[in-house]
Amino acid sequence: MICRKGEKSLAYLLVLPATIILGVLTLYPFGFMIYLSVHRWKASLAYIPKSFVGLSHFIRLFQEEFFWSAMSVTFRFLVVVILIEFFLGLFLALLLNRRMRGRRLIRSLFLLPMMLTPVVVGLIWRFILNDEVGILNYFFFIIHLPAQAWLGDVSTALQAIMLVDVWQWTPFMILVLLAGLQSLPGEPFEAAKVDGASTWQTFRFITIPLLKPIILIALLFRTIDAYRIFDKIYVMTYGGPKTSTEPLSLYVYRSGFRHYDMGYTAALSLVMLIIIIAISQGYIRFMVKK
Amino acid sequence: MKSPESKRNWMIFTNGIVYIVIALFLFFFLFPIFWVIITSLKSRVQTFTIPPVWIFKPTLQSYRAIFTEMQFSHYLLNSTAIAILNTILVVFTGSLAAYSIARFKTGGNNLSFWILSIRMIPPIVVAVPLFIALNKLRMIDTHLALILLYTTLNLPLAVWIMRAFLMEIPEELEESAMIDGCSRMQAFWRIVLPLARPGLAATAIFCFIFSWNEFLFALIFTRIVAKTAPLAMTTLMTEREIYWGNICAGATLVIVPVIVFSLIVQKHIVRGLTFGAIK
Repeated sequence: MICRKGEKSLAYLLVLPATIILGVLTLYPFGFMIYLSVHRWKASLAYIPKSFVGLSHFIRLFQEEFFWSAMSVTFRFLVVVILIEFFLGLFLALLLNRRMRGRRLIRSLFLLPMMLTPVVVGLIWRFILNDEVGILNYFFFIIHLPAQAWLGDVSTALQAIMLVDVWQWTPFMILVLLAGLQSLPGEPFEAAKVDGASTWQTFRFITIPLLKPIILIALLFRTIDAYRIFDKIYVMTYGGPKTSTEPLSLYVYRSGFRHYDMGYTAALSLVMLIIIIAISQGYIRFMVKK
Repeated sequence: MKSPESKRNWMIFTNGIVYIVIALFLFFFLFPIFWVIITSLKSRVQTFTIPPVWIFKPTLQSYRAIFTEMQFSHYLLNSTAIAILNTILVVFTGSLAAYSIARFKTGGNNLSFWILSIRMIPPIVVAVPLFIALNKLRMIDTHLALILLYTTLNLPLAVWIMRAFLMEIPEELEESAMIDGCSRMQAFWRIVLPLARPGLAATAIFCFIFSWNEFLFALIFTRIVAKTAPLAMTTLMTEREIYWGNICAGATLVIVPVIVFSLIVQKHIVRGLTFGAIK
Protein backbone atom coordinates (compact mmCIF):
# COMPACT_ATOMS: atom_id res chain seq x y z
CA MET A 1 0.00 0.00 0.00
CA ILE A 2 1.30 3.42 -0.91
CA CYS A 3 1.47 5.40 2.28
CA ARG A 4 1.04 9.10 1.77
CA LYS A 5 1.72 12.01 4.01
CA GLY A 6 -1.18 12.77 6.31
CA GLU A 7 -2.87 9.43 5.73
CA LYS A 8 -2.23 8.35 9.28
CA SER A 9 -4.22 11.26 10.66
CA LEU A 10 -6.91 10.68 8.03
CA ALA A 11 -7.20 7.07 9.21
CA TYR A 12 -7.83 8.23 12.76
CA LEU A 13 -10.20 10.95 11.63
CA LEU A 14 -12.36 8.38 9.85
CA VAL A 15 -12.83 6.12 12.88
CA LEU A 16 -13.38 9.08 15.18
CA PRO A 17 -17.16 9.61 14.84
CA ALA A 18 -17.99 5.94 15.36
CA THR A 19 -15.55 5.63 18.25
CA ILE A 20 -16.90 8.71 20.02
CA ILE A 21 -20.52 7.58 19.72
CA LEU A 22 -19.78 4.05 20.92
CA GLY A 23 -17.37 5.25 23.57
CA VAL A 24 -19.86 7.63 25.14
CA LEU A 25 -22.73 5.16 24.95
CA THR A 26 -20.86 2.17 26.38
CA LEU A 27 -17.93 3.32 28.51
CA TYR A 28 -19.92 5.95 30.37
CA PRO A 29 -22.72 3.55 31.47
CA PHE A 30 -20.12 0.98 32.37
CA GLY A 31 -18.26 3.37 34.70
CA PHE A 32 -21.45 4.76 36.19
CA MET A 33 -22.72 1.22 36.76
CA ILE A 34 -19.66 0.32 38.81
CA TYR A 35 -20.09 3.51 40.84
CA LEU A 36 -23.79 2.85 41.42
CA SER A 37 -23.26 -0.79 42.35
CA VAL A 38 -21.48 0.18 45.56
CA HIS A 39 -23.93 2.92 46.50
CA ARG A 40 -27.41 2.87 47.89
CA TRP A 41 -29.74 4.89 45.74
CA LYS A 42 -33.44 4.45 45.37
CA ALA A 43 -34.75 6.66 42.58
CA SER A 44 -38.22 6.58 44.09
CA LEU A 45 -36.94 8.12 47.32
CA ALA A 46 -35.05 11.07 45.88
CA TYR A 47 -34.77 12.81 49.27
CA ILE A 48 -32.52 10.10 50.63
CA PRO A 49 -28.95 10.94 49.61
CA LYS A 50 -26.77 8.38 47.90
CA SER A 51 -24.59 6.59 50.39
CA PHE A 52 -21.63 4.28 50.01
CA VAL A 53 -22.51 0.72 50.96
CA GLY A 54 -19.49 -1.27 49.78
CA LEU A 55 -20.24 -4.72 48.50
CA SER A 56 -23.51 -5.17 50.37
CA HIS A 57 -25.58 -5.14 47.15
CA PHE A 58 -23.56 -8.07 45.88
CA ILE A 59 -23.93 -9.95 49.14
CA ARG A 60 -27.67 -9.36 49.13
CA LEU A 61 -27.80 -10.43 45.49
CA PHE A 62 -26.30 -13.83 46.11
CA GLN A 63 -28.74 -14.44 48.97
CA GLU A 64 -31.73 -13.32 46.94
CA GLU A 65 -34.12 -16.07 45.95
CA PHE A 66 -35.29 -14.12 42.87
CA PHE A 67 -31.73 -13.96 41.58
CA TRP A 68 -31.21 -17.72 41.74
CA SER A 69 -34.61 -18.36 40.24
CA ALA A 70 -33.77 -15.97 37.36
CA MET A 71 -30.39 -17.68 36.88
CA SER A 72 -32.10 -21.04 36.73
CA VAL A 73 -34.69 -19.83 34.21
CA THR A 74 -32.04 -18.15 32.04
CA PHE A 75 -29.77 -21.16 31.87
CA ARG A 76 -32.46 -23.81 31.52
CA PHE A 77 -33.92 -21.76 28.70
CA LEU A 78 -30.54 -21.14 27.08
CA VAL A 79 -29.33 -24.74 27.12
CA VAL A 80 -32.60 -26.28 25.95
CA VAL A 81 -33.32 -23.88 23.10
CA ILE A 82 -29.77 -23.89 21.80
CA LEU A 83 -29.56 -27.68 21.77
CA ILE A 84 -32.90 -28.06 20.00
CA GLU A 85 -32.19 -25.25 17.55
CA PHE A 86 -28.78 -26.67 16.76
CA PHE A 87 -29.81 -30.26 16.14
CA LEU A 88 -33.03 -29.39 14.34
CA GLY A 89 -31.18 -26.76 12.32
CA LEU A 90 -28.43 -29.22 11.39
CA PHE A 91 -30.99 -31.83 10.39
CA LEU A 92 -32.89 -29.42 8.15
CA ALA A 93 -29.69 -27.91 6.72
CA LEU A 94 -28.57 -31.41 5.68
CA LEU A 95 -31.94 -32.02 4.02
CA LEU A 96 -31.82 -28.69 2.22
CA ASN A 97 -28.24 -29.29 1.10
CA ARG A 98 -29.47 -31.93 -1.35
CA ARG A 99 -30.07 -31.06 -4.96
CA MET A 100 -33.77 -30.50 -5.25
CA ARG A 101 -36.30 -28.48 -7.14
CA GLY A 102 -37.30 -25.11 -5.66
CA ARG A 103 -34.44 -25.03 -3.17
CA ARG A 104 -34.00 -21.26 -3.40
CA LEU A 105 -37.67 -20.59 -2.76
CA ILE A 106 -37.76 -23.05 0.17
CA ARG A 107 -34.64 -21.45 1.63
CA SER A 108 -36.11 -17.97 1.50
CA LEU A 109 -39.35 -19.16 3.10
CA PHE A 110 -37.39 -20.68 5.97
CA LEU A 111 -35.67 -17.38 6.73
CA LEU A 112 -38.83 -15.42 7.53
CA PRO A 113 -39.37 -16.13 11.27
CA MET A 114 -35.95 -14.93 12.41
CA MET A 115 -36.31 -11.45 10.95
CA LEU A 116 -39.68 -10.75 12.57
CA THR A 117 -40.10 -8.32 15.45
CA PRO A 118 -39.65 -10.42 18.63
CA VAL A 119 -42.46 -8.66 20.52
CA VAL A 120 -44.82 -9.33 17.66
CA VAL A 121 -43.69 -12.96 17.53
CA GLY A 122 -44.51 -13.20 21.24
CA LEU A 123 -47.98 -11.75 20.68
CA ILE A 124 -48.66 -13.96 17.66
CA TRP A 125 -47.84 -17.02 19.73
CA ARG A 126 -49.77 -15.76 22.73
CA PHE A 127 -52.78 -15.72 20.42
CA ILE A 128 -52.03 -19.19 19.07
CA LEU A 129 -51.43 -20.61 22.57
CA ASN A 130 -54.44 -18.87 24.11
CA ASP A 131 -56.50 -21.42 26.03
CA GLU A 132 -59.90 -20.21 24.79
CA VAL A 133 -59.51 -18.84 21.27
CA GLY A 134 -56.10 -20.27 20.39
CA ILE A 135 -55.74 -22.48 17.35
CA LEU A 136 -53.28 -24.86 19.03
CA ASN A 137 -55.88 -26.05 21.50
CA TYR A 138 -58.28 -26.44 18.58
CA PHE A 139 -55.77 -28.68 16.78
CA PHE A 140 -55.37 -30.63 20.03
CA PHE A 141 -59.14 -30.98 20.25
CA ILE A 142 -59.26 -32.42 16.71
CA ILE A 143 -56.72 -35.12 17.56
CA HIS A 144 -58.42 -35.76 20.94
CA LEU A 145 -55.78 -34.32 23.23
CA PRO A 146 -56.74 -32.29 26.31
CA ALA A 147 -56.74 -28.49 26.01
CA GLN A 148 -54.17 -26.65 28.11
CA ALA A 149 -53.62 -23.17 29.51
CA TRP A 150 -50.10 -23.24 28.06
CA LEU A 151 -48.89 -19.91 29.39
CA GLY A 152 -50.87 -19.94 32.62
CA ASP A 153 -49.44 -23.13 34.05
CA VAL A 154 -46.13 -23.27 35.91
CA SER A 155 -45.30 -26.61 34.34
CA THR A 156 -45.78 -25.57 30.71
CA ALA A 157 -45.16 -21.79 30.54
CA LEU A 158 -41.38 -21.94 30.14
CA GLN A 159 -41.65 -24.78 27.66
CA ALA A 160 -44.12 -22.75 25.60
CA ILE A 161 -41.65 -19.86 25.52
CA MET A 162 -38.88 -22.26 24.51
CA LEU A 163 -41.07 -23.48 21.66
CA VAL A 164 -41.50 -19.91 20.42
CA ASP A 165 -37.76 -19.28 20.56
CA VAL A 166 -37.13 -22.51 18.66
CA TRP A 167 -39.69 -21.36 16.11
CA GLN A 168 -37.98 -18.03 15.60
CA TRP A 169 -34.30 -19.05 15.74
CA THR A 170 -34.02 -22.54 14.23
CA PRO A 171 -34.10 -20.82 10.81
CA PHE A 172 -30.91 -18.98 11.80
CA MET A 173 -29.18 -22.29 12.49
CA ILE A 174 -30.50 -23.74 9.23
CA LEU A 175 -29.19 -20.86 7.15
CA VAL A 176 -25.81 -20.60 8.86
CA LEU A 177 -25.16 -24.34 8.75
CA LEU A 178 -26.40 -24.54 5.16
CA ALA A 179 -24.03 -21.72 4.18
CA GLY A 180 -21.29 -23.68 5.97
CA LEU A 181 -22.12 -26.95 4.22
CA GLN A 182 -22.11 -25.27 0.83
CA SER A 183 -18.72 -23.68 1.43
CA LEU A 184 -16.98 -26.99 2.25
CA PRO A 185 -14.26 -28.11 -0.18
CA GLY A 186 -15.10 -31.12 -2.36
CA GLU A 187 -11.82 -33.06 -2.19
CA PRO A 188 -12.09 -34.63 1.29
CA PHE A 189 -15.51 -36.01 0.35
CA GLU A 190 -14.23 -37.51 -2.89
CA ALA A 191 -11.30 -39.05 -1.03
CA ALA A 192 -13.68 -40.53 1.53
CA LYS A 193 -15.83 -41.97 -1.25
CA VAL A 194 -12.77 -43.55 -2.89
CA ASP A 195 -11.78 -45.05 0.47
CA GLY A 196 -15.28 -46.51 0.82
CA ALA A 197 -16.38 -44.52 3.89
CA SER A 198 -20.02 -44.91 4.87
CA THR A 199 -22.38 -41.91 4.90
CA TRP A 200 -22.24 -41.79 8.69
CA GLN A 201 -18.44 -41.99 8.76
CA THR A 202 -18.17 -39.21 6.18
CA PHE A 203 -20.53 -37.06 8.21
CA ARG A 204 -18.90 -37.75 11.55
CA PHE A 205 -15.24 -37.56 10.53
CA ILE A 206 -15.28 -35.08 7.63
CA THR A 207 -18.36 -32.87 7.63
CA ILE A 208 -18.50 -32.12 11.36
CA PRO A 209 -14.77 -31.32 11.85
CA LEU A 210 -14.74 -29.09 8.76
CA LEU A 211 -17.90 -27.37 9.92
CA LYS A 212 -16.69 -26.84 13.47
CA PRO A 213 -15.60 -23.17 13.23
CA ILE A 214 -18.96 -22.21 11.73
CA ILE A 215 -20.87 -24.27 14.30
CA LEU A 216 -19.03 -22.47 17.10
CA ILE A 217 -19.78 -19.03 15.67
CA ALA A 218 -23.46 -19.93 15.28
CA LEU A 219 -23.62 -21.25 18.85
CA LEU A 220 -21.84 -18.16 20.20
CA PHE A 221 -24.28 -15.79 18.52
CA ARG A 222 -27.27 -17.79 19.70
CA THR A 223 -25.89 -17.98 23.24
CA ILE A 224 -25.43 -14.21 23.41
CA ASP A 225 -28.99 -13.63 22.21
CA ALA A 226 -30.72 -16.35 24.20
CA TYR A 227 -29.00 -15.07 27.35
CA ARG A 228 -30.58 -11.63 26.92
CA ILE A 229 -34.11 -12.91 26.10
CA PHE A 230 -36.59 -10.23 27.13
CA ASP A 231 -39.13 -9.11 24.53
CA LYS A 232 -41.00 -12.37 24.02
CA ILE A 233 -41.24 -13.16 27.71
CA TYR A 234 -42.34 -9.60 28.51
CA VAL A 235 -45.40 -9.96 26.28
CA MET A 236 -46.10 -13.66 26.72
CA THR A 237 -45.98 -14.14 30.50
CA TYR A 238 -44.19 -11.14 32.07
CA GLY A 239 -42.18 -13.70 34.03
CA GLY A 240 -45.19 -15.49 35.45
CA PRO A 241 -46.89 -17.60 36.71
CA LYS A 242 -45.07 -16.54 39.90
CA THR A 243 -41.47 -16.19 38.70
CA SER A 244 -41.38 -19.44 36.73
CA THR A 245 -40.44 -17.71 33.46
CA GLU A 246 -38.49 -14.71 34.75
CA PRO A 247 -34.99 -14.61 33.25
CA LEU A 248 -32.16 -12.33 34.40
CA SER A 249 -33.00 -9.53 31.96
CA LEU A 250 -36.56 -9.28 33.22
CA TYR A 251 -35.37 -9.40 36.83
CA VAL A 252 -33.00 -6.50 36.10
CA TYR A 253 -35.86 -4.61 34.47
CA ARG A 254 -38.18 -5.24 37.40
CA SER A 255 -35.74 -4.16 40.09
CA GLY A 256 -34.62 -1.11 38.12
CA PHE A 257 -37.81 0.17 36.57
CA ARG A 258 -40.50 -1.16 38.88
CA HIS A 259 -38.77 -0.97 42.26
CA TYR A 260 -36.36 1.85 41.30
CA ASP A 261 -33.63 0.25 43.39
CA MET A 262 -30.86 1.65 41.19
CA GLY A 263 -27.83 0.65 43.28
CA TYR A 264 -28.94 -2.96 43.57
CA THR A 265 -29.88 -3.07 39.89
CA ALA A 266 -26.45 -1.80 38.90
CA ALA A 267 -24.82 -4.58 40.95
CA LEU A 268 -27.15 -7.10 39.33
CA SER A 269 -26.41 -5.73 35.83
CA LEU A 270 -22.71 -5.99 36.48
CA VAL A 271 -23.02 -9.64 37.48
CA MET A 272 -25.16 -10.33 34.41
CA LEU A 273 -22.54 -8.70 32.19
CA ILE A 274 -19.62 -10.57 33.77
CA ILE A 275 -21.34 -13.93 33.25
CA ILE A 276 -21.87 -13.40 29.51
CA ILE A 277 -18.32 -12.08 29.06
CA ALA A 278 -17.00 -15.21 30.77
CA ILE A 279 -19.12 -17.47 28.55
CA SER A 280 -18.08 -15.66 25.36
CA GLN A 281 -14.44 -15.83 26.40
CA GLY A 282 -14.88 -19.57 26.85
CA TYR A 283 -16.22 -19.90 23.31
CA ILE A 284 -13.47 -17.73 21.86
CA ARG A 285 -10.73 -19.69 23.66
CA PHE A 286 -12.21 -22.88 22.30
CA MET A 287 -12.35 -21.45 18.79
CA VAL A 288 -8.76 -20.24 18.85
CA LYS A 289 -7.46 -23.50 20.31
CA LYS A 290 -9.05 -25.68 17.64
CA MET B 1 -25.52 -55.14 -6.37
CA LYS B 2 -28.70 -53.13 -6.82
CA SER B 3 -30.03 -52.80 -10.32
CA PRO B 4 -30.12 -49.24 -11.72
CA GLU B 5 -33.92 -49.58 -11.82
CA SER B 6 -34.29 -50.25 -8.07
CA LYS B 7 -31.67 -47.65 -7.30
CA ARG B 8 -33.73 -45.06 -9.14
CA ASN B 9 -36.88 -46.10 -7.32
CA TRP B 10 -35.02 -45.81 -4.02
CA MET B 11 -33.92 -42.27 -4.98
CA ILE B 12 -37.48 -41.25 -5.81
CA PHE B 13 -38.67 -42.73 -2.53
CA THR B 14 -36.12 -40.91 -0.33
CA ASN B 15 -36.67 -37.67 -2.24
CA GLY B 16 -40.38 -38.00 -1.57
CA ILE B 17 -39.75 -38.41 2.15
CA VAL B 18 -37.40 -35.43 2.19
CA TYR B 19 -40.04 -33.26 0.52
CA ILE B 20 -42.68 -34.36 3.02
CA VAL B 21 -40.44 -33.61 6.00
CA ILE B 22 -39.54 -30.20 4.59
CA ALA B 23 -43.19 -29.44 3.87
CA LEU B 24 -44.13 -30.29 7.47
CA PHE B 25 -41.46 -27.97 8.85
CA LEU B 26 -42.39 -25.22 6.42
CA PHE B 27 -45.94 -25.51 7.72
CA PHE B 28 -44.64 -25.14 11.29
CA PHE B 29 -42.53 -22.10 10.43
CA LEU B 30 -45.02 -20.33 8.20
CA PHE B 31 -48.43 -21.16 9.61
CA PRO B 32 -48.30 -18.63 12.50
CA ILE B 33 -47.51 -15.82 10.05
CA PHE B 34 -50.30 -16.90 7.73
CA TRP B 35 -52.72 -17.25 10.63
CA VAL B 36 -52.08 -13.76 11.95
CA ILE B 37 -52.56 -12.15 8.55
CA ILE B 38 -55.78 -14.12 8.02
CA THR B 39 -57.12 -13.20 11.46
CA SER B 40 -56.38 -9.51 10.87
CA LEU B 41 -58.92 -9.62 8.03
CA LYS B 42 -61.72 -11.17 10.08
CA SER B 43 -64.59 -9.36 11.74
CA ARG B 44 -64.46 -8.99 15.52
CA VAL B 45 -66.92 -11.83 16.11
CA GLN B 46 -65.11 -14.20 13.75
CA THR B 47 -61.81 -13.83 15.64
CA PHE B 48 -63.42 -15.36 18.71
CA THR B 49 -65.15 -18.28 17.01
CA ILE B 50 -64.05 -21.82 17.78
CA PRO B 51 -63.86 -23.87 15.58
CA PRO B 52 -62.14 -21.12 13.61
CA VAL B 53 -63.71 -19.86 10.38
CA TRP B 54 -61.53 -20.55 7.37
CA ILE B 55 -63.68 -19.04 4.65
CA PHE B 56 -65.03 -15.56 5.23
CA LYS B 57 -65.47 -12.19 3.60
CA PRO B 58 -62.35 -10.14 4.42
CA THR B 59 -62.94 -6.88 6.26
CA LEU B 60 -60.61 -4.05 7.28
CA GLN B 61 -62.55 -3.50 10.50
CA SER B 62 -59.57 -4.29 12.75
CA TYR B 63 -57.25 -2.00 10.82
CA ARG B 64 -59.78 0.80 11.02
CA ALA B 65 -60.05 0.20 14.77
CA ILE B 66 -56.33 0.53 15.51
CA PHE B 67 -56.00 3.63 13.34
CA THR B 68 -58.97 5.49 14.78
CA GLU B 69 -59.04 4.24 18.38
CA MET B 70 -55.34 4.36 19.16
CA GLN B 71 -53.60 6.35 16.40
CA PHE B 72 -51.45 3.48 15.32
CA SER B 73 -50.22 5.64 12.42
CA HIS B 74 -48.43 7.89 14.92
CA TYR B 75 -46.43 4.94 16.24
CA LEU B 76 -45.70 3.55 12.78
CA LEU B 77 -44.46 6.99 11.77
CA ASN B 78 -42.24 7.18 14.86
CA SER B 79 -40.81 3.73 14.14
CA THR B 80 -40.13 4.66 10.53
CA ALA B 81 -38.53 8.02 11.32
CA ILE B 82 -36.32 6.61 14.08
CA ALA B 83 -35.25 3.62 11.99
CA ILE B 84 -34.42 5.74 8.93
CA LEU B 85 -32.48 8.42 10.82
CA ASN B 86 -30.60 5.81 12.82
CA THR B 87 -29.76 3.97 9.61
CA ILE B 88 -28.36 7.14 7.98
CA LEU B 89 -26.24 7.94 11.04
CA VAL B 90 -24.97 4.39 11.39
CA VAL B 91 -24.23 3.71 7.74
CA PHE B 92 -22.38 7.02 7.40
CA THR B 93 -20.16 6.76 10.49
CA GLY B 94 -19.92 2.98 10.14
CA SER B 95 -18.61 2.94 6.58
CA LEU B 96 -16.00 5.61 7.29
CA ALA B 97 -14.73 3.62 10.27
CA ALA B 98 -14.90 0.36 8.33
CA TYR B 99 -12.88 1.86 5.46
CA SER B 100 -10.24 3.11 7.85
CA ILE B 101 -10.04 -0.27 9.59
CA ALA B 102 -10.06 -2.27 6.35
CA ARG B 103 -7.38 -0.19 4.60
CA PHE B 104 -5.15 1.25 7.33
CA LYS B 105 -5.67 -1.35 10.07
CA THR B 106 -6.48 1.60 12.34
CA GLY B 107 -6.32 0.76 16.01
CA GLY B 108 -5.07 -2.74 15.18
CA ASN B 109 -7.08 -5.67 16.46
CA ASN B 110 -7.96 -3.87 19.68
CA LEU B 111 -10.30 -1.35 18.10
CA SER B 112 -12.16 -3.86 15.95
CA PHE B 113 -12.54 -6.33 18.80
CA TRP B 114 -13.70 -3.63 21.16
CA ILE B 115 -16.37 -2.72 18.60
CA LEU B 116 -17.31 -6.38 18.17
CA SER B 117 -17.47 -7.01 21.91
CA ILE B 118 -20.26 -4.42 22.23
CA ARG B 119 -22.42 -7.07 20.56
CA MET B 120 -22.08 -9.16 23.74
CA ILE B 121 -23.53 -6.57 26.12
CA PRO B 122 -27.16 -7.35 26.98
CA PRO B 123 -28.98 -4.01 26.41
CA ILE B 124 -30.79 -4.24 29.76
CA VAL B 125 -27.41 -4.06 31.51
CA VAL B 126 -26.73 -0.49 30.35
CA ALA B 127 -30.34 0.60 30.76
CA VAL B 128 -30.14 1.89 34.34
CA PRO B 129 -27.08 4.15 33.97
CA LEU B 130 -28.30 5.41 30.60
CA PHE B 131 -31.73 6.10 32.00
CA ILE B 132 -30.33 8.22 34.81
CA ALA B 133 -28.12 10.16 32.37
CA LEU B 134 -30.83 10.73 29.77
CA ASN B 135 -33.25 11.73 32.50
CA LYS B 136 -30.83 14.44 33.66
CA LEU B 137 -30.44 15.60 30.07
CA ARG B 138 -34.25 15.69 29.71
CA MET B 139 -34.02 13.33 26.76
CA ILE B 140 -36.48 10.68 27.90
CA ASP B 141 -39.27 10.20 25.36
CA THR B 142 -37.42 11.96 22.55
CA HIS B 143 -36.76 10.57 19.09
CA LEU B 144 -33.12 11.63 19.38
CA ALA B 145 -32.59 9.39 22.42
CA LEU B 146 -33.68 6.26 20.55
CA ILE B 147 -31.77 7.23 17.39
CA LEU B 148 -28.58 7.49 19.45
CA LEU B 149 -29.25 4.42 21.61
CA TYR B 150 -29.86 2.24 18.57
CA THR B 151 -26.36 3.06 17.32
CA THR B 152 -25.00 0.85 20.11
CA LEU B 153 -26.88 -2.05 18.52
CA ASN B 154 -26.26 -1.18 14.88
CA LEU B 155 -22.90 0.55 14.62
CA PRO B 156 -20.82 -2.53 15.54
CA LEU B 157 -22.80 -4.49 12.95
CA ALA B 158 -22.29 -1.80 10.29
CA VAL B 159 -18.55 -1.58 10.92
CA TRP B 160 -18.06 -5.33 10.73
CA ILE B 161 -20.21 -5.99 7.66
CA MET B 162 -18.82 -3.01 5.75
CA ARG B 163 -15.32 -4.06 6.70
CA ALA B 164 -15.98 -7.53 5.25
CA PHE B 165 -17.37 -6.03 2.03
CA LEU B 166 -14.61 -3.44 1.67
CA MET B 167 -11.85 -6.00 2.12
CA GLU B 168 -13.15 -7.75 -0.97
CA ILE B 169 -12.59 -4.66 -3.13
CA PRO B 170 -9.03 -4.73 -4.52
CA GLU B 171 -6.84 -1.89 -3.26
CA GLU B 172 -5.24 -1.48 -6.69
CA LEU B 173 -8.34 0.32 -7.93
CA GLU B 174 -7.88 3.14 -5.44
CA GLU B 175 -4.15 3.22 -5.95
CA SER B 176 -4.46 3.73 -9.67
CA ALA B 177 -7.08 6.42 -9.10
CA MET B 178 -4.70 8.13 -6.70
CA ILE B 179 -1.84 7.93 -9.20
CA ASP B 180 -4.17 9.66 -11.63
CA GLY B 181 -4.42 12.52 -9.16
CA CYS B 182 -7.39 11.64 -6.94
CA SER B 183 -7.07 12.29 -3.24
CA ARG B 184 -7.70 9.40 -0.85
CA MET B 185 -11.20 10.62 -0.03
CA GLN B 186 -12.04 11.18 -3.69
CA ALA B 187 -10.93 7.63 -4.44
CA PHE B 188 -13.07 6.37 -1.57
CA TRP B 189 -16.08 8.36 -2.68
CA ARG B 190 -15.86 7.77 -6.45
CA ILE B 191 -14.33 4.30 -6.71
CA VAL B 192 -14.83 2.33 -3.51
CA LEU B 193 -18.32 3.32 -2.41
CA PRO B 194 -19.97 2.64 -5.79
CA LEU B 195 -18.38 -0.80 -5.80
CA ALA B 196 -19.52 -1.42 -2.22
CA ARG B 197 -23.11 -0.54 -3.05
CA PRO B 198 -24.48 -4.07 -2.39
CA GLY B 199 -22.75 -3.99 0.99
CA LEU B 200 -24.14 -0.56 1.78
CA ALA B 201 -27.64 -1.67 0.82
CA ALA B 202 -27.43 -4.81 2.95
CA THR B 203 -26.03 -2.89 5.92
CA ALA B 204 -28.70 -0.21 5.64
CA ILE B 205 -31.51 -2.76 5.48
CA PHE B 206 -30.17 -4.64 8.49
CA CYS B 207 -29.90 -1.43 10.51
CA PHE B 208 -33.42 -0.51 9.52
CA ILE B 209 -34.82 -3.93 10.48
CA PHE B 210 -33.04 -4.04 13.84
CA SER B 211 -34.16 -0.52 14.77
CA TRP B 212 -37.67 -1.31 13.61
CA ASN B 213 -37.77 -4.51 15.69
CA GLU B 214 -36.24 -3.08 18.85
CA PHE B 215 -38.40 -3.14 21.96
CA LEU B 216 -36.44 -2.92 25.22
CA PHE B 217 -34.99 0.59 24.78
CA ALA B 218 -38.31 1.82 23.42
CA LEU B 219 -40.02 0.44 26.52
CA ILE B 220 -37.61 2.13 28.92
CA PHE B 221 -36.83 5.39 27.16
CA THR B 222 -40.13 6.43 25.57
CA ARG B 223 -43.58 7.30 26.91
CA ILE B 224 -45.92 8.87 24.34
CA VAL B 225 -44.15 11.29 22.01
CA ALA B 226 -41.49 8.91 20.69
CA LYS B 227 -43.36 5.64 21.34
CA THR B 228 -42.69 3.10 18.59
CA ALA B 229 -44.99 0.55 16.96
CA PRO B 230 -43.68 -2.58 18.77
CA LEU B 231 -44.26 -0.81 22.10
CA ALA B 232 -47.73 0.27 21.00
CA MET B 233 -48.48 -3.41 20.30
CA THR B 234 -48.15 -4.14 24.02
CA THR B 235 -50.71 -1.47 24.91
CA LEU B 236 -53.18 -3.41 22.81
CA MET B 237 -52.74 -6.23 25.33
CA THR B 238 -53.53 -4.26 28.45
CA GLU B 239 -57.11 -3.45 27.50
CA ARG B 240 -59.72 -5.08 29.67
CA GLU B 241 -60.87 -7.27 26.87
CA ILE B 242 -58.24 -8.32 24.36
CA TYR B 243 -59.30 -7.84 20.76
CA TRP B 244 -57.17 -10.36 18.95
CA GLY B 245 -58.26 -8.93 15.59
CA ASN B 246 -56.68 -5.58 16.50
CA ILE B 247 -53.51 -7.26 17.67
CA CYS B 248 -53.28 -9.26 14.46
CA ALA B 249 -53.84 -6.12 12.38
CA GLY B 250 -51.07 -4.28 14.23
CA ALA B 251 -48.82 -7.32 14.01
CA THR B 252 -49.36 -7.56 10.26
CA LEU B 253 -48.48 -3.89 9.77
CA VAL B 254 -45.29 -4.30 11.82
CA ILE B 255 -44.08 -7.51 10.16
CA VAL B 256 -44.92 -6.85 6.50
CA PRO B 257 -42.10 -4.32 5.94
CA VAL B 258 -39.69 -6.68 7.68
CA ILE B 259 -40.71 -9.58 5.46
CA VAL B 260 -40.31 -7.50 2.30
CA PHE B 261 -36.89 -6.21 3.37
CA SER B 262 -35.65 -9.66 4.46
CA LEU B 263 -36.46 -11.06 1.06
CA ILE B 264 -34.41 -8.26 -0.55
CA VAL B 265 -31.30 -8.96 1.55
CA GLN B 266 -31.72 -12.71 1.79
CA LYS B 267 -28.40 -13.25 0.01
CA HIS B 268 -26.63 -11.38 2.83
CA ILE B 269 -28.74 -12.46 5.77
CA VAL B 270 -26.28 -14.96 7.22
CA ARG B 271 -23.51 -12.44 6.85
CA GLY B 272 -25.51 -9.74 8.56
CA LEU B 273 -26.58 -11.87 11.49
CA THR B 274 -23.06 -13.15 12.11
CA PHE B 275 -21.37 -9.75 11.71
CA GLY B 276 -19.70 -10.74 8.45
CA ALA B 277 -18.10 -13.81 10.04
CA ILE B 278 -19.89 -16.25 7.72
CA LYS B 279 -20.60 -15.49 4.11
